[in-house]
Amino acid sequence: MTLLTARQRNASANLGLALALMAAVTASLALGTVAVPPEAILDVLAGGGDTIHQFVIRELRLPRVLAGALTGAAFALAGCMMQTVARNRLATPGIIGIDNAATAFAVASVVGTGIAVAPSAMALTGAAAATALAFGLAGANGTRGYRFIIAGLGIGAIAGAVTQVMLSRVAIDAANAAFPWTVGSLNARSETAVQVLAIGLAIGYGLAIALGPALTTLQFSDPVAINLGTRLKRTRALSLACAVLLTGLAVAVAGPVGMVALLAPELARALGRAGKVPLTASALAGAAFMVAADLVGRLALAPLELPVGLVTAIAGSPYLIWILVKPSSRSLS
Amino acid sequence: MTNADSTPKLEARGLTLAHRHTPVIDQLDLTLPPGQVTAIVGPNGCGKSTLLNGLARVHAPAGGAVLLDGGDIHSQPSREVARKLALLPQDNSAPEGLTVTDLIRFGRQPHQGWLQRWTNDDQTVLEQALAAADLAPLADRPLDTLSGGQRQRAWIAMSIAQQTPLLLLDEPTSALDLGHQIEVFELIRQLARQGKTVVMVVHDLVSACRYANHLIAMTDGTIQAQGAPGEILDRSLIHRLYGVHCDVIQDPASGTPVLVNLRKAP
Repeated sequence: MTLLTARQRNASANLGLALALMAAVTASLALGTVAVPPEAILDVLAGGGDTIHQFVIRELRLPRVLAGALTGAAFALAGCMMQTVARNRLATPGIIGIDNAATAFAVASVVGTGIAVAPSAMALTGAAAATALAFGLAGANGTRGYRFIIAGLGIGAIAGAVTQVMLSRVAIDAANAAFPWTVGSLNARSETAVQVLAIGLAIGYGLAIALGPALTTLQFSDPVAINLGTRLKRTRALSLACAVLLTGLAVAVAGPVGMVALLAPELARALGRAGKVPLTASALAGAAFMVAADLVGRLALAPLELPVGLVTAIAGSPYLIWILVKPSSRSLS
Repeated sequence: MTNADSTPKLEARGLTLAHRHTPVIDQLDLTLPPGQVTAIVGPNGCGKSTLLNGLARVHAPAGGAVLLDGGDIHSQPSREVARKLALLPQDNSAPEGLTVTDLIRFGRQPHQGWLQRWTNDDQTVLEQALAAADLAPLADRPLDTLSGGQRQRAWIAMSIAQQTPLLLLDEPTSALDLGHQIEVFELIRQLARQGKTVVMVVHDLVSACRYANHLIAMTDGTIQAQGAPGEILDRSLIHRLYGVHCDVIQDPASGTPVLVNLRKAP
């Protein structure tokens, strides 16, 4: 039937996604107002190259690409874990309202509501608060079933409204400064937030991989998972905490970038083998999608710049619809 | 192959199981005979599936305890329990596209350490499980392309790969036609001959009598009778269980009880 064994299929999916990420990164470093040829990129990365190229790559493009790859990977990994734990493809952090709540808290710190805490910490607090609230409102079913999703939708809507209220009540300059937070953009990221995200992603990815075998059994019914030795409550709690950490820290960098957490795991699942929870593939797909989307946002209407969140929404929606209407698809149940 | 002496002992002591504060099983004591096939029978809603789930630590007790080898099953590491006891629940849906081999591989998970690779031993066990369930030609077929009987055999093969001395099955033949039922029961009997202790919830009383050597008859969460089917099954027990009248005769071929002349109690 197939020429590849299951293991080979997974490995080749990861390899393909890694190559796609590399291609997106290379294109992002090369293209823009100042075009830098690939060999010049290598020169700059090796410590040489001319001064203009050095400035463009090191100061402008590389930090931005790095931030894009890290946020994309974090959003996608969080999405993949939450989908698995909730056994529902719609249960991504963006839909559960975690993104919006994290944004509301981060905006509160940026527009100066008197709370002088770094956006990362604020976003994380918001993400944790939203998740705890959604979990509490979901009642006995926990993360299972639609109560969790509907509670999350409500929380997300409220948090979005709170963000708008805050922005409408502050001076226009402060509102402008906080605007990227509302659409998702890589333009106004903070260096500290990126560093914190890098550390958070390393921890989150390690935890996700450690939880991998247990997460895999969550694709079956609870009794089957328990029968295979999975500690359900512990696995769910740790996975949820991991998703909150990743989402909160990613929002602190780029704001609520939609669709990445929903689509990257779908793509990873479609490429990988049945019955696997594609953690690594999701992270790679998310990073590649985010970097490519930001590149499109920079180039499409240059010199005007589209926020990356707009591009992911525009590019992502048709893909989502295609997955839905595609017959005999196993990538959306 | 395990023998009856080394088989882990599974028992319930004062076990109370509740659904949302309503007790389904109330203070039940039970010791499962090692190395035998036990069938739990009773009318709908008598708590037989709940009891099986309680014994398999899926349903946490509201009181009392399930003891595995003398220790509370809930205080033992779940993976260790998963190497002694396998449960085949009724709701066994699988991710779409999963193949027979993929499914059986999951049975090895309790035996694998952190980041431990698939070993030659695991491969041998996988192939034995495929052969035992007569599934070798279907090894690479997705589960959703199989017949109900084949799919159920694949799930049993997963339990076989788990290599547990105890096997708990919740209505393993429900929704299967006669041929597939026999297929699955024969496989279960074969596993019992190899030394496994089997406990199954069975809907059909006559099949339970034919394939089990120990019968537990329940109503309303309590045990009405237990013992060898031929010894405990009579008209009055059947009336107590199902509220019907009948005559019990002996199956000339298997020597087990068969119900005839069934009629509604006046």
